[in-house]
Amino acid sequence: MSRVSENSSSAALNFSLGKAKSKLEDLQMKGSTLKDISRPSDNPISNVEALSITSNMSDNKQYQRNADYALLHLNVTEKSLEQLTDLLVKAKEIAISQSSDFYNADVRKNIANEVNQLRNLALSIANKRVGQKHIFSGYSTLTKPFDVDGNYKGDKGHTTVEVAKDFFLPLNLNGHEIFYSSDDTSDKNIHPLEKLKKSVNEQTEENKRELASSEGERLHKRDNIFAQLESLSVALETNDAGLIQSLLEEFDESISRLITLRTRVGSITSSVMNSKSRLESENIEGATRKSKLVDADIAEVFSDITKHQNVLKTTYKSSQGLMNQNLMDFLR
Amino acid sequence: MSDLLNIGRTGLNASKKSLETTGHNISNVNTEGYSRQRVNQTTNIPITKGGTVHGTGTRIKSVTRINDDFVNKRLEKSISNSKFFEQRMERMSQVEDIFNDLDTDGLNQVINRFFNSFRELANQPENETIRSVVRDQANLVVQDFQRIQGSLNSISAGIDGNMESEVTDINQTLEHIASLNAKIRSLEAVNEEVGDLRDQRDLAVRNLSKSFKVHTYQDNKGQFVVAARGVGTLVTATQVQRLQIGTSNKENSTNGLPGSADIFFEGKPAHILTKKFQGGSLASLAKVRNEEIVDIKNKIDSIAYNLTKSVNAIHRRGYVNRQVEVGEQGNVSDVDSKGMTTGINFFKEPIGPKDSALNMSLSTAVKEDLSNIVTALGPNSPGDNRISLAISKIQHERIVGEDESTLEEFYLQAVGKIGLESGKARLDSEQADGLKAQAVSIRERLVGVSIDEEAANMVKFQHAYDASAKIMQTADEMFKTVIGIKR
Repeated sequence: MSRVSENSSSAALNFSLGKAKSKLEDLQMKGSTLKDISRPSDNPISNVEALSITSNMSDNKQYQRNADYALLHLNVTEKSLEQLTDLLVKAKEIAISQSSDFYNADVRKNIANEVNQLRNLALSIANKRVGQKHIFSGYSTLTKPFDVDGNYKGDKGHTTVEVAKDFFLPLNLNGHEIFYSSDDTSDKNIHPLEKLKKSVNEQTEENKRELASSEGERLHKRDNIFAQLESLSVALETNDAGLIQSLLEEFDESISRLITLRTRVGSITSSVMNSKSRLESENIEGATRKSKLVDADIAEVFSDITKHQNVLKTTYKSSQGLMNQNLMDFLR
Repeated sequence: MSDLLNIGRTGLNASKKSLETTGHNISNVNTEGYSRQRVNQTTNIPITKGGTVHGTGTRIKSVTRINDDFVNKRLEKSISNSKFFEQRMERMSQVEDIFNDLDTDGLNQVINRFFNSFRELANQPENETIRSVVRDQANLVVQDFQRIQGSLNSISAGIDGNMESEVTDINQTLEHIASLNAKIRSLEAVNEEVGDLRDQRDLAVRNLSKSFKVHTYQDNKGQFVVAARGVGTLVTATQVQRLQIGTSNKENSTNGLPGSADIFFEGKPAHILTKKFQGGSLASLAKVRNEEIVDIKNKIDSIAYNLTKSVNAIHRRGYVNRQVEVGEQGNVSDVDSKGMTTGINFFKEPIGPKDSALNMSLSTAVKEDLSNIVTALGPNSPGDNRISLAISKIQHERIVGEDESTLEEFYLQAVGKIGLESGKARLDSEQADGLKAQAVSIRERLVGVSIDEEAANMVKFQHAYDASAKIMQTADEMFKTVIGIKR
């Protein structure tokens, strides 16, 4: 039989009461916050994983914003290309109807006005803006890409946008590839940062070359849409059926280039949409996982609370007999 | 006949003394550190009379306390342990609170938003408003780094304060023990063991073991010695070696921070003892301050250093977002009316990893003019977003350490470690608490006063007293009878 003293029994009671109460307090915290983890040490591994999911999700939200922005941009581009195609088709129709000698010089002169209007329309499409930026001027977005004579003032820059982690898509078509020639319209998705990784010296040199080349490369006569429309108008005014005929082929070339570009924009748009919907489902998965890590199992918490309340009650009850009576009560 | 009276008197005396002791026990039932006392009663020296041996009653040999040195030592040890872990748990949970990012916006999310603001800027590199958002987010990053380092420093300073008051307490207790030693020695030189004073001394030693692991022993001259394990003797009989606390400069301090408190023997500041204490709250405080806090501070510094370095390295490559004059050969002028056009740092370039979080700030160029936030790799390209894309990619690049982890991974590792340590400290503390409760209960079972037992004793001694009185009464009557014969 072990000896029991006043202090040992009160210490034992304190200890067991403290234990029951701290457990209950813990559960009460969980019940009121509905969180399984309220501080890192509750479950360091889940905590770290939850944090990385959180930042992953906010990255994804940003990628979605990027995608939305890209879609706006691509839709405007697509629309412009459509208008431009319609315009060229119309110009081509005029050229076809005027290539025969059926019409006389007066009629052709009148029609030349219409062609001039088409050219103006093409120019306004070429200088289209989204917000404050011109969409067809490469990197020089604040410069008007085409002047009245149809000279290209922009550069050949391709802005890329990150629509999912490490998935870059070109956002814009520059004026050169739309209106001038199809020499530089490779469809390859070049990582935008590759250039950046090369050494500094190489970089600046390349920069200069880029600048110089866009500077020096004057348009090859009628390779550009404006020149084609201009020529048509001139040919109509001068009543030059031969020139009109020779223009037909060039219009075809331009139209087919625009169609290629439209396909490209379309495919980029669908990539953006795809990645966007993928990000959405990824975010839902992330939220589910995070909830599993961080949130408390409510049923479990409340059944635990009931259980521990009973434990506490029993502790109180059992202490009653121990603490409230001693031998003195029974001696006369 | 007087023998009988005398025997009755000794019984009366002994019972009275026993009742007194019972009373002493009951009145001290709640006195901290009190151990119950017991009357050691023995028979008086018998005498020979008329060829037979006669008992001469009873005698009080001594009043001693119930005590077990082994139990006491075990209790002291478990107190040191439980204090160590309790203190550790408290401090670690303070550290942990700084990194509690679950509900609030911790460093992780602030940095995340910083990089995402660069992604937003990459969408519209010509947009001035987004530039200012980028700058605001960068400021928040700077603030958060400073918040973390500031909070860590203040925890560190709080620990210094704690150590100081702890040392004051320790010195007082040491003096108390020395004066008790003196009293005990002088009282016990003439009398038996002085239980009450020894209880007080044991209690003082137990208080001391809250601060560090204590070793006590009686040396060969009978002097009571108190020593701190790992440090040395603090009390020898009435001699006290006081401790002192002082601040040391950056080179000498045990945690590499200027002005942090360190402990040494009074008058010997060259010999620092802070790290030598074992167990108890002093060792715990020193460990958290010198290891955990220093470690996490270094990690945060290294995050700040790598972040600033990498952002700057890329940022310097780009050109400002304003018209720059280009010469004939396509060479770009390096300066214009607003300062440099390229090679601009985004953050102030850090001197070294040390303290880079605390000293972090935006570069003056970026503070002064938004167009100094660079997005373009080439000059005069307001729509070029390659620099801001590249900066936003730093988020996922392994730039910390030997290219082994990303900023986020490194930060999460650090937070994970703090969480683990803090969780472990809590478990350890619970366990040590349990062990301490057990040790307390073992001691209390042995030496604690039990009212029931005392009540039973009271009845017993009272009966003995009554009976002894009866003996004397009988002797008295016998006297009367004898005297009555004469009549």
